[in-house]
Amino acid sequence: MDINVIQTQIEEDLSKAVSLAGLEEVRVKYLGRKGIIAELTSSIPSLAVEQRGVFGKQVNSLKNKLLELLQDKEKILKTSNQVSVKSNFDIGMPGMAQELGVLHPLTRITEEVCAIFSKMGFSIVGGPEIETEYNNFTGLNIPLEHPSREAFDTFYLKDYAKMLLRSHTSPCQVRVMQERKPPLAVVVPGRVYRPDAVDASHSFMFHQIEGFMVDENIKFSDLKGLLEMFAKAVFGNDIKMRFRPHFFPFTEPSAEVDISCIICKGKGCSVCGRKGWLEILGSGMIHPNVFKQVGIDAKKYTGFAFGMGVERIAMLKYGVNDIRLFFENDLRFLKQF
Amino acid sequence: MKVTYNWLKDFVEIKLEPKALADKLTMAGLEVVSLEEKAGDFIFEIEITSNRPDWLSIFGVAREIAAATGAKLKNPYFSLAARKTTTGATKSNLKVEIEDKKDCFLYTARIIKNIKVGASPEWISKRLESVGCRSVNNVVDITNYVLFELGEPLHAFDLDKLNPGKITVRRALAGEKILTIDGIENSLSVNSLVIADQNKAVAVAGVMGGKDSEVSLGTKNILLEAAIFDPVIIRRSRQAFGRASESSYRFERGIDPDVVSRASLRAAQLLREYCGGQEISLTVSSSNKLKTTQVEFDVAYASKVLGINLTTAKTKQILTGLGFKIKQKSKNIFNVIVPSWRQDVKQQVDLIEEIARIFGYAQIPNTVPSVKPKMASDAKRDLVLEIKNMLTGLGVTEAITYSLIDRHGLTAAGLAGAKPVEIMNPLSQDQEILRPTLMLGLGRAISFNLNQKQEHVLLFEIADIFKAETRPEEKLALGIALSGVKSFFTGQGKIKDESGLLNLKGILETIFERLGITGYEFKSQGDFQVEIYIQQEKIGSLLKLEPQALNSLAIKNRDVFLGEIILDKLFSFAQLNKKFHPLPKYPGITRDISFVLKDDFSVKEILALLKEQGRPLLSEVKVTDYYKGKQIPPGYRGLTLSCLYASGERTLTEKEIQPIHDSLCALLNREFQIKLR
Repeated sequence: MDINVIQTQIEEDLSKAVSLAGLEEVRVKYLGRKGIIAELTSSIPSLAVEQRGVFGKQVNSLKNKLLELLQDKEKILKTSNQVSVKSNFDIGMPGMAQELGVLHPLTRITEEVCAIFSKMGFSIVGGPEIETEYNNFTGLNIPLEHPSREAFDTFYLKDYAKMLLRSHTSPCQVRVMQERKPPLAVVVPGRVYRPDAVDASHSFMFHQIEGFMVDENIKFSDLKGLLEMFAKAVFGNDIKMRFRPHFFPFTEPSAEVDISCIICKGKGCSVCGRKGWLEILGSGMIHPNVFKQVGIDAKKYTGFAFGMGVERIAMLKYGVNDIRLFFENDLRFLKQF
Repeated sequence: MKVTYNWLKDFVEIKLEPKALADKLTMAGLEVVSLEEKAGDFIFEIEITSNRPDWLSIFGVAREIAAATGAKLKNPYFSLAARKTTTGATKSNLKVEIEDKKDCFLYTARIIKNIKVGASPEWISKRLESVGCRSVNNVVDITNYVLFELGEPLHAFDLDKLNPGKITVRRALAGEKILTIDGIENSLSVNSLVIADQNKAVAVAGVMGGKDSEVSLGTKNILLEAAIFDPVIIRRSRQAFGRASESSYRFERGIDPDVVSRASLRAAQLLREYCGGQEISLTVSSSNKLKTTQVEFDVAYASKVLGINLTTAKTKQILTGLGFKIKQKSKNIFNVIVPSWRQDVKQQVDLIEEIARIFGYAQIPNTVPSVKPKMASDAKRDLVLEIKNMLTGLGVTEAITYSLIDRHGLTAAGLAGAKPVEIMNPLSQDQEILRPTLMLGLGRAISFNLNQKQEHVLLFEIADIFKAETRPEEKLALGIALSGVKSFFTGQGKIKDESGLLNLKGILETIFERLGITGYEFKSQGDFQVEIYIQQEKIGSLLKLEPQALNSLAIKNRDVFLGEIILDKLFSFAQLNKKFHPLPKYPGITRDISFVLKDDFSVKEILALLKEQGRPLLSEVKVTDYYKGKQIPPGYRGLTLSCLYASGERTLTEKEIQPIHDSLCALLNREFQIKLR
């Protein structure tokens, strides 16, 4: 019998032994009175004289090795038995870890949107919530006494003349364009205020994300292409989009952007008011009057701007049906995101 | 605004089904928000943008449909031909005086006599009803009918109730009284424009007529007013008046000067037909004729801005379809003459929008602009996001609370401090000031969640806080709030841990350490407040709410801990460039000291003393155990400090360390009366 084959066999048998009783069987098989080692030893006299010495040593070393292996295995089996007997471990018990807090869903949406534009090469810029009447209105081509202001009812500050809480993030267009020169590609997330009575879809405080790009040769078709990329990144590749003519004082031409309803896929449901479309953005080419206000040459440069409501996107994306939930800070709500 | 399918068909041939027409209008910028079938007609509710007053009538919408569908606009039956036959009116004795031509540049007064006031013919009252206007009597209904049809507001006065001779358009006197047709007595200001007879104001011009001269069943003779008032004065007047009307809505947006006489004629024609009226005279008072606007238009530039290939033929077709007149200057350059009803068109870009609208936004391709990246990253924003992520990792959930709050709540919670920024026009007292601290909102959010039976609430908010200084001050702050009992499993079973100020301290320390901030210090100010300093500058504080504050937040049987730091200040101390420190080459020796300490002493002082006196070999000392309870007398606590002795040059020996350690223990004994355990 080949010693090497036997050694392999021993290792295999040992690995299969999972209990002390099984280990005893292995011991008997090799070291028992009629075991394999005994058999090998008894075969020595039948060998040629010159082979006996070498073979005898081999058998002896095999035996020692086997004893060692048996001892190790016995230790392993004994200790593992101990653990399972004494600790009554149950993987079904709750796991132990530091519980995580979560980001507010509006932060998640804001970051998701900003990341998309950031990847396209846009800079992210902030601005103050207390603004001047000029930045909020006049600089954006919104005359102070004009019906186009109706859409921007505004909280004014007491004791500070012509200071207000910004009613949209667009004043940052004025700020950035006054400070920096084109080419510009900027997104501005921020908190805005309008004196609206609070109900399921209105809040006197909400969040917007504004974006704009100014350079030579910026076209309306660029606005369409860029916003399509954006909307597909947020709402999925299978949405349809449409651009509707609209009016904003600071853009011309202006467009409202609808996506096919993500709930009913355009068939018409309660979320989209049976229209099959959901309005998600306002946009347009920056009005030359705005460029004039900030000192950018409207003959050389063109640009587009767009803005969206963060709450609106979050409500659509997460299926939230009441805007007040965002400001109630109920942990049962917040922890869902 | 509402329009009906059949009424539109008076003016334009419509080949589209109502639903298809609704889509067509929506995609041309007249968003149809609802479409309803009613009594054999279809009613479209359209959202008209403030730049397009010319769409505020049936005729205006019909004109747009004609342009968008290529259909012919029907020649209205009140054309110029009609004008000639009906202007048999004699020159009137009635005088119209306009105090300021800027307030009113056109006023026409038509006197119609011998009318019979009664019910309207059914078709008139039905149409009015379908666009949301209540039928009053045939005379009033006819003025309203023409308003909806042509967009020019008209007003009929009972001529016999006016002091005859002269009509004046003037500013109201301060405090001047008028009872309007809605039965409300109004006190006017000089910002209001009125129509007055020789005695008193008889109408708030362009907004609402007066009750005294209202057309009633007994009315025999009327004065029919058709005018144009200045949009801004009407806007101010309406705001002071406090109520809008269909008339003020249109005057504020602008009236086509060309439509005034036609509307007056149309009404006269209907009055003659349905009220038996007889036209007597017409008085017109007007300033100079309105200038026509001319705009230069470059076809190539429009193509470039829109990203399409416009031909001159297509451009001409679209613009003339919309009523613009074109004088071609060169191949690509036009002089475009703007029609009277399009006062919104002032420059080339306005025409580009018209081209895009009729060309169809959907026909414009989607292209991708090449963005030239600029590394103008906002470092503050990145830090805020990093802090938010740290906090959520530490188990704190982000809240967003209102920035506008009530002063009362602030005072009740003991959080009122510096003068807050006040809102001039709040909707209610709940939103009267801009918050000077995040703590009130967070405290309320804690209260809300405790009420929802949450055991452990841990919230933060990062937002601006405000203070009234010479200029209103706005600063970015971090607020953290916690309350309740945290329970978690360990190998030994469930452990419950009551929240406390030390949890807040730990959270903030973690943030400070990650931002590389050194030299921060938490200074206790009594049992309820801790102030936070970095290098001697105060950057924030921690609070344990006092009982009356908890009471004001309706929190029972729970403590609430609040922290707030000014991030703008914190960031100025951040050291974000990490530098590698070589790892210790020689192992150190650790010695523990376990002792009992009187509560009068702070661990802070002990650690500071050890660090100072243990130099240079004591390289680190920290609290490794803390115990209060059995075996420790009241007023004392058990502490274990772990002291690590190490050198950067050699391996230290026990023999070397022992005397140093012993002397430090003796020092603690002397200074703090510790009892070794």
